[in-house]
Amino acid sequence: MSFIDSLAAGLGLVGNVEAFLALALGIVIGVIGGAIPGMSATMAVALTLPFTFSMQPITGILLLLGVYKGGIFGGSIPAILIKTPGTPASSATILDGFPMAEKGEAGRALGMALWASCTADLISNLSLILFAGWLASFALSFGPPEFFTLILFSLTIIAGVSGESLLRGALSALLGLLLATVGLDLVYGTNRFTLGDPNMMGGLNFIAVLIGLFAIPEVISMVWNPTAHLGKTRQLGKSRVSFADYRKSFKSIVRGSFIGVFLGSIPGIGAAPAAFLSYSEARRKSPNKNNFGKGEVEGVAASEAGNNGVAGATLIPLLALGVPGDVITAIIIGAFMIHGLQPGPMMFAMNTSIIYGLFIGLIVSSVFLFIFGSFAIRGFKFVANVPKRILMPAVLVLCVYGVFAVNNNVFDIGVMFVMGWLGYAMLRCRIPAAPFLIAFILGPLLEDNFRQSMLMSGSDPLVLIRGPITWFFWGATALTVFAIVRAGIRTTKGIVSRQRASAQFDR
Amino acid sequence: MNERALQMRLGLAACAVALFLIFVAIPNWVSSPSNVSNIVLSPLFWPYTLSVMMGLVGLGLIATCLRLSANGAPLSIDVEDRGSAQLRMIGIAVIMLVSMVLFARVGMVWTSMLSYLATAFLVKTRHPKTAVVCGVVIPVVLYAFFAHVAGVAVPQGNFVRLP
Repeated sequence: MSFIDSLAAGLGLVGNVEAFLALALGIVIGVIGGAIPGMSATMAVALTLPFTFSMQPITGILLLLGVYKGGIFGGSIPAILIKTPGTPASSATILDGFPMAEKGEAGRALGMALWASCTADLISNLSLILFAGWLASFALSFGPPEFFTLILFSLTIIAGVSGESLLRGALSALLGLLLATVGLDLVYGTNRFTLGDPNMMGGLNFIAVLIGLFAIPEVISMVWNPTAHLGKTRQLGKSRVSFADYRKSFKSIVRGSFIGVFLGSIPGIGAAPAAFLSYSEARRKSPNKNNFGKGEVEGVAASEAGNNGVAGATLIPLLALGVPGDVITAIIIGAFMIHGLQPGPMMFAMNTSIIYGLFIGLIVSSVFLFIFGSFAIRGFKFVANVPKRILMPAVLVLCVYGVFAVNNNVFDIGVMFVMGWLGYAMLRCRIPAAPFLIAFILGPLLEDNFRQSMLMSGSDPLVLIRGPITWFFWGATALTVFAIVRAGIRTTKGIVSRQRASAQFDR
Repeated sequence: MNERALQMRLGLAACAVALFLIFVAIPNWVSSPSNVSNIVLSPLFWPYTLSVMMGLVGLGLIATCLRLSANGAPLSIDVEDRGSAQLRMIGIAVIMLVSMVLFARVGMVWTSMLSYLATAFLVKTRHPKTAVVCGVVIPVVLYAFFAHVAGVAVPQGNFVRLP
């Protein structure tokens, strides 16, 4: 199939009102979800997922991608106006966005956030189109040992960078891997931790686990402290972003976009580190570096470009390798699975029209984001004023219906509640939930590829280092562990020296 | 509780879970055929490997916590009245448990209405009238979508059935 044929097939799939409406609706839901403090893009995508079950695959996936893109931008609105990031990715936006809001320039900051987000989103989508196909064709030569080492590398990096320490991330990933072993054994079909319950034989439902981990803990947190969300919303002010502002920040936006693309295409890193790296690079290179942190519009542009640059790029490992790049793409992989699609290199050969349909939809999403984002900025005060104590019980009910709809099974709702309490406990103990979910998804793949490698080699472990690709991933894994452990030791030393200093001061 | 205490508790919990898995859960709840030729292909291999790794991570957490000072700053307490907060937590747990029991008997729509209202009043909403309206409307709208658009067989219960 030539490029033109593939493009035409993709256009045939998405060239209808339903698909574009889904995309537009997704962006609106995402912007609102991201903008409501206490909700997040992740939660918005998780709650939207059950509504896609009855849709055509491409329509459902476009709806979720719209929520994802809208949610990442939406998170910047409360970051700027009330100093509360709607998503972790918007944390860097606070650094200059909130000081601008305090100076009465919130409208300008939000305008720049939108322009930078749309530019970075477009660059990220183009990178996805350019690299995903190439990576997928390269990945066609992967066998079970290569996939095993790739997944191991992904899990290591996710465990290492998601939380405060590698050990807590590893603990989270191990819990996810253990939970993934529940059900019938992949090779022999014997029971593992099923406790004789037929509901457990197929393993725990993925949607129940993810909604339990990412939505229910927010409800429980609100019950623990119902007034934690109350904050003062700043006014938009009269100043608006100008083309001169955009031109002045353009270099930082493009640089930040490419930082986002690079970090986003590595499974597990996510948007927050990209935003901070983009911000620090912009500060280092900018002629106005002294204004950074005091309300510099270029700082807002850089951090928003960094986190939105990730949005398209995280789909590169998802589509090309079948490995989710972050938590949100881990949820989106659920939509693929529910519609009987398995992302990965074979998808480029078997479902070309869907791949190209997604590419077209993603390009259009940047335009929709610009349009709906402009309205969202003006309408934020209505969104921010949604009472949390009315919203969260609604989230609870929505979770119940959504999880039940997957298998028409009340048992799944029980799984969701249990996972919700586990997620809340992890939140309180500062254990990141992202490695848990991604390990839960990748666990069966990791074990399956390991056992296939052993079967094909007659249980010779040397098959796991059989060629340059496996060497590369083992090397990358070792390097990642080394870097994270070194950073962890430095952090611990810092804490110890601070504690000693404060003890001496007390004396 | 400070950082050191949290790290220590996590480490001890991870070790306890690992020991429980190795000595109780895996021998009793994971079955393996007797004719497995190689240990690495056994259904037991992966759970045992993960359990051992969890134990090692637990030991790692304990080892790193020993480097921290016992007099470190306490972790932030995010709520003023802990007693009320704990009562609310028990309340939400009861709401979830009772909902599980009622879904099949009373029906998902009615149970959702009750759980919505119970949760909203548990957290002392400042908008009781809005809560009552939302508590009725949201479950009915979701029922209409999932039952009539998505074709999901939403449990109706034994008492009042919806069209």
